[in-house]
Amino acid sequence: MSNFFIDLVTATDEARREFETHPVVFASVANGMSIDRYRALLGELYHIVWHFNPICAAAVSRITDEFANVRDFLYRHMHEESGHEQWVLNDLEALGVSREHAISRPPSPNVLALVGFNYWASDRRHPCSVLGMMYVLEVLAAVYGGPFSATVKETLFLEGDRGTSFLSSHASLDAAHMAELRDILNQLTIAEAKSAVVESVLVNFRQITSVFAAV
Amino acid sequence: MTSPEAVGIGALLSRPYKSIRLEWSSELSALRVRTCVTPVQCYSLSAMGELQRVLLDIAENQGLVKHFVMTSDVPGVFNFGGDLSLFVLLIRARDHESLRLYGRRCVDLLWWMETAAQIGVHTTVLVQGDTLGGGLESVMPFHKVIFERSAQAGFPEVLFNSFPGMGAWNFTIRKAGFAVANEMILSGKLYTAEQLHECRLVDMVVDDGCGEDAIEEAMRAVHPRLRGTLAALQARSIAAPVTYQSLMDIVDRWTVNSLNLTDRDLKLMERLARAQARKGTRGATEGAVEEIKRVELERAWGEERTGITEWASL
Repeated sequence: MSNFFIDLVTATDEARREFETHPVVFASVANGMSIDRYRALLGELYHIVWHFNPICAAAVSRITDEFANVRDFLYRHMHEESGHEQWVLNDLEALGVSREHAISRPPSPNVLALVGFNYWASDRRHPCSVLGMMYVLEVLAAVYGGPFSATVKETLFLEGDRGTSFLSSHASLDAAHMAELRDILNQLTIAEAKSAVVESVLVNFRQITSVFAAV
Repeated sequence: MTSPEAVGIGALLSRPYKSIRLEWSSELSALRVRTCVTPVQCYSLSAMGELQRVLLDIAENQGLVKHFVMTSDVPGVFNFGGDLSLFVLLIRARDHESLRLYGRRCVDLLWWMETAAQIGVHTTVLVQGDTLGGGLESVMPFHKVIFERSAQAGFPEVLFNSFPGMGAWNFTIRKAGFAVANEMILSGKLYTAEQLHECRLVDMVVDDGCGEDAIEEAMRAVHPRLRGTLAALQARSIAAPVTYQSLMDIVDRWTVNSLNLTDRDLKLMERLARAQARKGTRGATEGAVEEIKRVELERAWGEERTGITEWASL
């Protein structure tokens, strides 16, 4: 088994720190955000989460038997993530945004660029690039999701998981996912697949930062 | 015609760095590194990479740099130590290898300081604010450790069931003795500059705002007898050795222990990371040090009321 995970963490650590460094992200994790901005962020997250499984499916449909382990991993992961966009809608509803309004609100250009890149990369770059998208989303959940949801709860006086169920539950759920993702990344040996994952991580961190910055 | 020295220092100073700023004083052949890691002043992978690059340059140009000085450009903070966000990521990924690699990179930086006398370099550090965990470990191998009076330091790792694994034991025992190391590392308490001076971990305490002059004085005091001082410091490392192997063995123990941290431990680590981040926001005066004091207080209250040292909730 290779140690690609170490290489990936090292090669993309600056992009992760740039996400942390962005003044909006930084202030949000440290001091929270207004309810309007939090609603807007969840509105954007709804579209990102909605597209997660279709992007994985697009990748799966192009994965050759050489990467059968990645395909099997994605099947399992897609099953676990199925319906999670409903959690975001539940949170929005708890914050006074109707499901209909949330669903009909179009995604911002930043979300379209993020989602569009991931479809394109799965289709045209390398289907394993989807692992880069997963890495970024799971880093966000496992590392920043907990502190961010705790800050939001404190500053908006939200009780229990009301309005933060998506963030709170993914902070703990994705802890196990990170270990599984690390295992599958360490099974990658083909250079082309590895470089597609690194590229995808860099683009996804950059785009997610833009999504945060714009709300 | 350009002298070989000018070529060396020119190349050294012209590298593009993000987390550090270099200053050169040709009078004393002193290279000063000012650190500024955003958003949290800690030992991130890239900051360590940049520091390692500078230290390699010095080692490859022996005789060029005679004094190495390190300070922080972040007001109120010298260094918060390890990159807690990265630790959380790696621990949640169950990534033993990467954690160990991080620890080993820290030890490589310490080891350069420990052996700097062998390449003709005297090292001085000025601490003007909070320095915690790995931040405190990183100053201990310096030949001259100067603190401004309001600076505070400690090893809070035990509060989240970890321990400082990159040189704390070795260097605290050598400088201050076993009892002090035991007390500092096992209590997780914070200490004032004066307290650290009393136990000889800090060589000099100066009033706030006087640190810059103290660096200059320290360098000028040692400069006329630099060769003798460096020879004596090399002999010191024979008399009271800290070995690379023992530092690495401790890192390996630290790695194994880190992977056994519970979700509650990680939440406390995240709480401190959040406090560190808060200190970085404009106008914020409270940071990790204040958060550690709150945790200590909560623990004291927990002990008094229930006799249990665990916190009811984090």
